[in-house]
This record gives sequence, structure tokens and C-alpha cells, in this order.
Amino acid sequence: CWCIDIHYGTLPIKKNTQQTFIRLGDSMSGFLDGIRCGDCECNVDWGERRNTIASVAAGVLFFTGWWIIIDAAVKYPDEGQFHHAYHTCGVIATLAFLMINAVSNGQVRGDSYSEGCLGQTGARVWLFIGFMLAFGSLIASMWILFGGFVVPKKPVYPGIAIFFQNGFGLQVWTHRGSLAVTDLFTLGSFYCKRQRASVIIHFL
Amino acid sequence: MAGIKALISLSFGGAIGLMFLMLGCALPVYDKYWPLFLLFFYILSPIPYCISRRVVDDADSTSNACKELAIFLTTGIVISAFGLPVVFARAEVIAWGACALVLTGNIVIFGTILGFFLVFGSNDDFSWQQW
Repeated sequence: CWCIDIHYGTLPIKKNTQQTFIRLGDSMSGFLDGIRCGDCECNVDWGERRNTIASVAAGVLFFTGWWIIIDAAVKYPDEGQFHHAYHTCGVIATLAFLMINAVSNGQVRGDSYSEGCLGQTGARVWLFIGFMLAFGSLIASMWILFGGFVVPKKPVYPGIAIFFQNGFGLQVWTHRGSLAVTDLFTLGSFYCKRQRASVIIHFL
Repeated sequence: MAGIKALISLSFGGAIGLMFLMLGCALPVYDKYWPLFLLFFYILSPIPYCISRRVVDDADSTSNACKELAIFLTTGIVISAFGLPVVFARAEVIAWGACALVLTGNIVIFGTILGFFLVFGSNDDFSWQQW
């Protein structure tokens, strides 16, 4: 755990402060080590399990979105309450999700072994179209909610269901987004760790 | 060996889970057999992960698209197994008490399946002859 090294390492500081450094180290060591090593421990596994956690989060969000729309279709079965064409929004978002996740980051950057059928430019175009479909279906879901349900004063649950299916279930959140969020968490915890270490050096 | 105790406790867990599922269907106050469709999800849930374990040789174990896809599909099957009783109960096909019993059975069975993979699945060459 590198945090301990900062605490007990040789810092280029003056003689009298060094003595206070050693004394502070002795008295404060048990208390601070407990806090910091807890953080260090859970960042070690993060690299390996990041993909698994992102896949689980993506699966949860995606399928929860679909089950919300199934629930809305069951509760409001007739055409007047829930126009069946509104399902298209979810289908296009699913298609966009599959398109976005079919392309890996390496293919877009151009540094993977096999170029794939389309090459690097083709991968970028594919990803571009996928993102456009995803954002388009999100906008469509908001439009459907307001234009189809709120304004005509119909029971609003199906519209909210479509919006949640798109906004929380089927969007860029899933897989790529989950990976981005877990990366943000890692970065954030790393920043906090460094922040805490710099606070301790400042304290000394 | 330590495997026998784990095996017995896991099969007990599976029996308890199935008992909850059957209670949710067969109690005279409920008497609706729609939740038995969940058996389909129970059987289907280990399959993607098993397929990915067999297909990929685990040489490049860091980033593995097949394993991630399998975990995604497995999570989807688990979510569907929780969503189906709730949708049934909201559609008034089964009672909410039956839904609660079936969800409890779900939790126990998926815990059992997860326990099975944790205890018996983590060996290097995944062969069918380990017993």
C-alpha cells in the first residue's frame, strides 16, 4: 500500500520538522492507517472487475427498461391509451445499443489487430450512426411523452414508461456508459486518495 | 471432501427455492400456475456463462467480449425472472401474495446458482469430470 510509504518515507524536510514528523507518525499511525488502507484495498481489484461490474449494470438497466414497457403495455392494452406505434422508440434504441456495443474502442482508434469488415473509418461511421439513433430515440421518447400524453391529457403512465425505457434503460448508459461511469468512479477515488495524501504531507 | 457439504447445502437451497415457487402457485388461496413459467428462466440462466467458459480458452483473461456478453445476458435473464411475477401481479393474473412468495423463491434459487458457480466453477480447466 503506497500510502504508508508516504507516511514513513524520507522526505526532504528540515531537521526539527523531521523530528515532529517521526513523533506524529508514531502517535497517529494506527488511526490513519486504518482509514487509508481501506481505500487502497478496494482499488486493487477494480481493474479486473470493472468490465464485469459494467456488464452487470448495463444488463440491469437495459432489461429493466424493457420490462417497464412490457408493464405499460399490459396495463393499458388498447390503442387509444397506448398507441402501438410508440413501441418503435424502444426498438430503435435497442438497435442503436447493439450497434454501439458491437464496435470496440480499439477499432475506432485503429490500433486493434484485425481491422474488421469496415476498417477504421467504417467503424467511426457505424458508431456515429449508432449514437445518432440513440439520441434520436431519446428525443423521440420525450416528444411522445409530452406530445402524445401530457398535452392531450391522457393517463400519463405509458408515456413515462417510454421515457424511462429510453432514458434510463436503453441509452448510452448501457455498457459504454457503464464503463465510463466506473472509470469516473475510479478516477474520483484516485483523486480523493491523492488529495488525502497531499493533506497529510501538508499537515506534516 | 469439502465439495460434498457445499453440494448438499446448495441442493437444499435449490429445494427451498423451488418450494417457494410451488407454494406461490399451489396454495388453495392462490391456485394459479402461471409462475411456473419462471422455471424456463431458471434453466436458461447458467447457459450463457457456461457457453462463454467453454468457447474461450481464458488465455487473454483481461478483456473478454464473449464473457461480458454472457454476463450481460445472464443479468437480463435474472431481471426478467424478477420482472415477470411483478407484471403478472399488476395485471391481476396472480395475487400479490403469490408474487411475494415467487420473488422470495427467485432470490433463493439465484443465490443457489451463484453459489454453485462460486464453489464449483472456479477451477482452471472446466471439465465435466470433476466429480
